[in-house]
Amino acid sequence: MIHVEHLSKRFLDYERGWKSAVDDVSFTCQPGEILGLLGPNGAGKTTTLRILSTVLRPTSGRAIVAGRDVALDPSGVRARIGFMSASTGIYDRMTAWELVEYFGRLYGMQPEPLRERMETIFEWLRMNDFRDVLGSKMSTGMKQKASIARTIIHDPPVLIFDEPTSGLDILVARTVLQKIGELRELGKTIIFSTHSMHEVEKLCTNVAIIYRGRLQAKGTPRSLLEEFDQPDLEELFFHLIDRADSDGGLAEAPTRPVSSTAGG
Amino acid sequence: MKSLPRWSSLMLILRREVRDQIRDRRTLFMIFVLPILLYPLLMIGMLQVLSAMEQKPRVVVVVGAEHLPESPPLLDPSGTHFSPTLFGSASEASLMVVELQPESSFWSDPPAAEQAIRHGLASAVMIIPPDLPEQLKREAEISIPIRFNSVDEPSQITHFRLKEMLARWKQHIVAARLERDKKEQGYSEPIDVKALDVATADEKGGSVWARLFPFLLVIMSLTGAYYPAIDICAGEKERGTMETLLISPASRLEIVLGKYFTVMLVSIAMTILNLLSMGLTGVQMASQFQGFPGAVGRRASTVLAAPTLQSAFWMLVLLVPLSAFFSAVSLALAVLARSVKEGQYYLTPMYITCMPLVLLTLSPDIELNLFFSILPVTGVALLLRALIMGNYDTAARYFLPVLIPTLVYAAVALRWAADQFQREDVLFREAERFSLAAWLKHLIRDREPKPTGAQAILCFTIILSASWFLMLYLARSESITGLGSVAAGQLVILLPPLIMAVMLTKSPLQTLRIAWPQTRYLLLAVGLVVALNPIVSELRLLVEWLFPISQKLRETLASLTSEGPGLIGTLGVLALLPAVCEEFAFRGYILSGLEQKRRVRSAIFLSALMFGFLHVLLSLFQQLFNATLLGVVLGLLAMRSKSILPGILFHFLNNAWAVSLPRLARMKEFEPVFGRVFRSPAEGLYHESFLVVSVIASSALIYYLWQIRFENRIRSSEVGTPEPAA
Repeated sequence: MIHVEHLSKRFLDYERGWKSAVDDVSFTCQPGEILGLLGPNGAGKTTTLRILSTVLRPTSGRAIVAGRDVALDPSGVRARIGFMSASTGIYDRMTAWELVEYFGRLYGMQPEPLRERMETIFEWLRMNDFRDVLGSKMSTGMKQKASIARTIIHDPPVLIFDEPTSGLDILVARTVLQKIGELRELGKTIIFSTHSMHEVEKLCTNVAIIYRGRLQAKGTPRSLLEEFDQPDLEELFFHLIDRADSDGGLAEAPTRPVSSTAGG
Repeated sequence: MKSLPRWSSLMLILRREVRDQIRDRRTLFMIFVLPILLYPLLMIGMLQVLSAMEQKPRVVVVVGAEHLPESPPLLDPSGTHFSPTLFGSASEASLMVVELQPESSFWSDPPAAEQAIRHGLASAVMIIPPDLPEQLKREAEISIPIRFNSVDEPSQITHFRLKEMLARWKQHIVAARLERDKKEQGYSEPIDVKALDVATADEKGGSVWARLFPFLLVIMSLTGAYYPAIDICAGEKERGTMETLLISPASRLEIVLGKYFTVMLVSIAMTILNLLSMGLTGVQMASQFQGFPGAVGRRASTVLAAPTLQSAFWMLVLLVPLSAFFSAVSLALAVLARSVKEGQYYLTPMYITCMPLVLLTLSPDIELNLFFSILPVTGVALLLRALIMGNYDTAARYFLPVLIPTLVYAAVALRWAADQFQREDVLFREAERFSLAAWLKHLIRDREPKPTGAQAILCFTIILSASWFLMLYLARSESITGLGSVAAGQLVILLPPLIMAVMLTKSPLQTLRIAWPQTRYLLLAVGLVVALNPIVSELRLLVEWLFPISQKLRETLASLTSEGPGLIGTLGVLALLPAVCEEFAFRGYILSGLEQKRRVRSAIFLSALMFGFLHVLLSLFQQLFNATLLGVVLGLLAMRSKSILPGILFHFLNNAWAVSLPRLARMKEFEPVFGRVFRSPAEGLYHESFLVVSVIASSALIYYLWQIRFENRIRSSEVGTPEPAA
């Protein structure tokens, strides 16, 4: 499972100084659940997921992934997750088979179990007709399948997908979503970021809406619609963004170094 | 990076990267195909050019040929060539065509002849004086002017050939006279010098290769390392596969090492193939040249002869550390680059930095010594030269002094590369608009309590270059000399760290360690000066034995301590001022910046090395060793005491002792005491028993100082680490 508590991440920006990309975010995701991280571009989704995958260190707060703390035992976390994003590329000069085998070996799998697992996965993702095609010669759909195979080769309990469908045509996107759904049925803990309401509605058991680095709301899609009295997710989303924008000015004031006590 | 890298992951990454390189058509072409094609093609091209140049006969205009004597003949009977008896071979004689011109023609008019040579109507003009037969009869000295154009190479060569030919003609004339007068050969040539060259043909080939090969080896291993490094670091970032690899269970160190060994392998393979192809082409070319007439051909064939098997072996041996070094540096730079394009920009400064280091080896005057041996690149290149030339004595003596620093540099560069892999801002750098104003504002606004490592290094380079310019200025102006220039130099050292601490850090006091220390550190400082003094004196003696200081320099230095404003003034300028200024710079700002990465040992060692290098610039490179040693102790003292004062005290006492010892040694009243302590009072060399005590006491004190960190660590964890403010 994934357990995130008061997670924050700040970056140094030459123009604006220290800037929060993720600010005090908390959520939980259980096995067999898909948590949809919903937010526009630049909301902090990728930063959050990169912290969960240990390539970024949190500035403060805590994240436990598959029972390991991302800050204290990053290699333990990496061994137990599968991470895939629009920016995790595949090697041009490697075939699909070689790529998946390479990562399987990096995860410490023995040759024989690895072969069996690969045959299963290649069958499941229907990759057998391009197993010997080089990365540079693959279509977008093939690449995406190879990426998924790479992500799940070591059968990790936790899967993290960062906008896995961005830039895909609808046919490929549909396959990707289908496969993610099937993974949930296998009891995996899945976190999945997107800016598409449609995907969240279709796939997610829970949703967390993130904007300007802050968590605006979380819960099941149904409970959120009731809580905020909105007809559908899209309206809910715009409602929350409007609310955050109007709060924005107020919310930022206390973080300024000039103390607000002087003004009363 | 707490755990050691796993061999299996490392090999897995290495194998994949190598396969990736081999599958890249461009890499394959550059490494394997290009060298095999390039050098033979170049050879064919060069031979064509050379043969075109060689075969064209040059025109020599001879004016006044009618005045030439019948015997010995200068021209052959037809009058179109010079007499073949004046050349080594008939083919050589055919290289010059004679054109006879009457004296009435424009060729006897100097300006017109010059013009004609410039226009290429002739390569040279030889004027036979009308009184030649008469002069010959009188056995007077005769001059035969040859007009040629020294800027035009063929004309120059023709001139040399004519001179050689006329010398032979002269010999023929002399021989005729000797025969006529019944005199021996020794009458005109009492001494016949016979030059007996001890070098074998192999060695002659070797000496040319010895100059050339180190140079080629450096250039090729650098190029061979750099391009794959860019491809597998910056290229991976660009293609998005870096993130894929970073989230795999392979540790950062395993990734770095896997990539590092790939780069090294490619670099070695490329260098070997290039050298092999070049060597074979050279051998081939040498055999071609043997067919060429004259000295040019002979020289060319020795020059290009194959290097001996030993040279080849030594090149292979030294290629490994050289590649190790270049691969590490290339990798660190390649990680830093956002894209392949940016990576390529970094290559030019690399070349520019390496060039002077390796060009040194082309000069025959420069020989391997301890100083060159610790320079990166230069040391290896000079060692290789010594090995190829067969100077095994020199090579054996400097083998380790060259190899160890090179491997240390490689390790440092590799560690730097591994550090880069830990940095989020390097791994996930995004293109951003650069504006100088915004960046300066950022420097002031987002400053941290202490300087960054980069700022510390910047401070050091500012001090170095400012000192350099000050020295240039002082060398020109005569008004400031001796102690005045020392004082000015110290101010230049003090100002940059002071200004940078005030402007670029939030806590200048903490940065410069302005705080009152615990008393025990002041006592430790005094104790360390006393305990270390015998060792320092011995070390100085050893260094001066290895690198003798010229007598003139010694006198200049001695005059510095004895001149001017009495003992107090001298102590002020030579002991107190350096103690304050250099401590604030090196143990204050620079060490504070370097220790930010929490690598205490590296920070202390690096700041000490910088301290040593400044002394090389300021006075003598002999001081490098002592200053670095003292820099380590001073750094440790500053870090443990969290105050600049113990360092200043140590530094002052150390310098004060060195300044006042010669004076004290001259005083009669100290003689009995000094005699018991020192074996040479004027140089401060102690008796052996004192040395033993010194070694034991210094070790104990330094160990005591070193282990204090545990106390400090507990104390600092109570305070907590400060966080960058929003």
